[in-house]
Amino acid sequence: MDISTYDYRLDNGIDLHVISTRKFKTIHFNIFFHRALNKDTATLNALLPRVMKRGCQGFRDTIQIERFLEDIYGADFDADVLKKGERQIIGFRLDIVHPKYTGDDALIDKGLSFLNDIISKPLTIDEGFNQDYVEQEKQNLKDLIEGLINDKAQYAVERCIQEMCKGEPFATYVYGSTDALPGINVNNLYEYYKDVVASSPVDIFILGDVEPDAIRDKAEAIFNWPRGTVKRIPKEIIKKTVTEPKEVVERMDVLQGKLSLGLRTNTAPDDTAYPILMLYASILGGGPHSKLFLNVREKASLAYYAYARLEKYKGLMIISSGIEIENYKKALDIMLEQLDEMKRGIISSQELDFSKKALTTSLHSIMDSPQQLTDYYLSNAIVKKHSTIDQLIESINATQMDQVIEIAQRINLDTIYFLANKAMKGVEKI
Amino acid sequence: MTVIENSAIEEIIYKYKLDNGLTVYIMPKPGYTRQFAIYATNYGSNDIKFLDGKHREPVEVPCGIAHFLEHKLFEEQGGSIFERFSALGAQANAFTNFNMTAYLFSSTHKFYDCLNLLLDFVNRPYFTDENVEKEKGIIAQEIRMYEDNPAWRVYFNLLGALYKNHPVKNDIAGTLESITGITKEQLYLCYETFYHPDNMAIFITGDIDREQVIKTVKRSFADKDMPRRGDVKRIYPDEPADVAQPLVKQQLAVATPMFYIGFKDSDIGMSGNKLIKKDIVTGLLLNMLIGKSSDTYQSLYEDGLINATFEKDYTGEINYGFSLMGGESQQPLKVQDRIMEAINKYKQSGLNINDLDRVKRKMLGDFLMSLNRIDGIASAYIAAAFKDINLLDYPKVLDDVKISDVEERLRQHFDEKYCAISIIEPKK
Repeated sequence: MDISTYDYRLDNGIDLHVISTRKFKTIHFNIFFHRALNKDTATLNALLPRVMKRGCQGFRDTIQIERFLEDIYGADFDADVLKKGERQIIGFRLDIVHPKYTGDDALIDKGLSFLNDIISKPLTIDEGFNQDYVEQEKQNLKDLIEGLINDKAQYAVERCIQEMCKGEPFATYVYGSTDALPGINVNNLYEYYKDVVASSPVDIFILGDVEPDAIRDKAEAIFNWPRGTVKRIPKEIIKKTVTEPKEVVERMDVLQGKLSLGLRTNTAPDDTAYPILMLYASILGGGPHSKLFLNVREKASLAYYAYARLEKYKGLMIISSGIEIENYKKALDIMLEQLDEMKRGIISSQELDFSKKALTTSLHSIMDSPQQLTDYYLSNAIVKKHSTIDQLIESINATQMDQVIEIAQRINLDTIYFLANKAMKGVEKI
Repeated sequence: MTVIENSAIEEIIYKYKLDNGLTVYIMPKPGYTRQFAIYATNYGSNDIKFLDGKHREPVEVPCGIAHFLEHKLFEEQGGSIFERFSALGAQANAFTNFNMTAYLFSSTHKFYDCLNLLLDFVNRPYFTDENVEKEKGIIAQEIRMYEDNPAWRVYFNLLGALYKNHPVKNDIAGTLESITGITKEQLYLCYETFYHPDNMAIFITGDIDREQVIKTVKRSFADKDMPRRGDVKRIYPDEPADVAQPLVKQQLAVATPMFYIGFKDSDIGMSGNKLIKKDIVTGLLLNMLIGKSSDTYQSLYEDGLINATFEKDYTGEINYGFSLMGGESQQPLKVQDRIMEAINKYKQSGLNINDLDRVKRKMLGDFLMSLNRIDGIASAYIAAAFKDINLLDYPKVLDDVKISDVEERLRQHFDEKYCAISIIEPKK
């Protein structure tokens, strides 16, 4: 079954992308507001959707919203902030069941009008948001930021990035910082809101069994917010030379150590070599066929998981694993050895072949998931590169071994981060 | 072959029963790029004591052995199964839960080769003293990972508080101690007892050719001699209706306390239509009591006692069941009091029919949305089928629920004596 995409520009300059396919039982609406990532506004960007989703003029409190969503067959609504490279994206998402399964033909109109209410008709008093909602959501956001430590694997990756990117916008946490919360009030948050709606680049995605031109007309009629001058998002600085890798050991009350390595790939997402980098990361740590899985887990039995993944927009690669604390040196040595093998071109044709196949399968699989499809096209919108999934697969499969070895020379270890416990001795310097 | 169809939601499943006892489900999903297959045995971490059909005395094996077995099936003489799936470009995986062990792959081409490989490797164990030893290091790190994971701990601590004897209180992967003693002989014993086709099922979905699928499956078993076994009987200890302990706490490195409130189900021992109905009725009830659209949820949220991490769920198995609700809170005990208060209030006043109708629409929508994900629907269907449930009946059973069903369940299930709370506190 075909997937066709249609790109429109609405009258007020908003980009609308319609992804038309009949294979899902649902229709998915996503509205993204792009903001530059920096520590001054990160917390505002994280708080704003949390306050906005609590109520609006059409649905004055959260219980009304929830009852409305249940009434339209359990529509799934959320508003949150994403981090993609050095941009934060405030996203509003509504998934509904296709009207043909419910007999309610007005579902699409109800959904669009609800999203518009949430975004353009917030609940305000005297140029400020609702006091209760702001205070409650400030507390919830504080808990969320502090809750990063709950998931130790994620914490170790985040801390590695913070250490590696000190002084760069990318070090900013997706939800901002608790320090910024006391300075936010109902009025300055509302001021900020107006700027977000007026000046952010906006992408709207509508995915499902819809008629593209008809849905465009509906969207244009309803999302007709007045807009000001749109602020461009600065491009990330990708290239960085590292003289000596940094080593950071942090201690917490844990049983298992978490080892994270941060690397600079010096390759931007719009670089023609980006598909080659994807292949590099897959060979190194992209699944059970990879060097990290085979050597750290299967051969040495040191870990349950060991992987490498790319941070596409900032040109970083993160290696991550959970190990016995006393095995720090052993695991690190094996990882460094794999990186070295990649640089020296010790890569078998089987490794190259398996990685091409693994990437082909996971890229093809995107087409079966509404969320992943939306994310793929959002990524294209960010990078301003309009390659289809099939084109990307083609470039990956056309890659030669020497190109992988060539890209390996660009990749440099920047930071070694280890989350250990208090009992760990003698690893201050290795 | 039986055709299981629900035309209202445009889904159809073909069910076959092979001579060797294997059940095969095929669900065509035209237009999907991926193909997905899951091959599962009705055997999980709860099955640690059983009559194996050969010996008169019951066999008792270490906790975590079903999961250990799952890891080890990926090994074959001179290599790893992962490698063979990688050569086909497919993603293979497996999981073990309390009641089921499942092996699965997702592919976008060479589907029939993958299917053949899946059946072949699960049907051909290869355990040696050496490869069993090697796996202990890997699984030890998996267990360690869970020990540091507060979301996992708060859940298993709750089960430990609800259950005195039932094996559902044990961690699925076992403990560092329990896995140390596992031997290849024990693995073979469990394999031979529970991996017979008549205790297994396979579910295949995607844009596939039904005839070719069934031919591939049959061919895979053609050269395998699988004699009928003696009767296998699982032995579960007696479990009192009341909880083992009403409160359990643990300290871990977390920012905010985490909690789960659990209600142990005393109305158990059913399967099929009765079980799916109980499951749905309890789901509706949980939504009405403490779902996001309920007064109780909103007042707890507005008072800062719960946040967006709050969730609720019912687990209904044949011989046990429980409802749980929880998330993060600075005052878990206060949340528990408020929820008990609300329950008692509803027991007095009764439930509202408009709420029921609305929550029914929500649950129908949730079900329809779940049909988008072929891997999710395959796993859910097969798990339900092991309990004699046909998941495509869901919309009809949901529609038939009456307010009196929900009110009766409220009185029967949500009782203080079946309630326990598990709390993870921040380590000082």
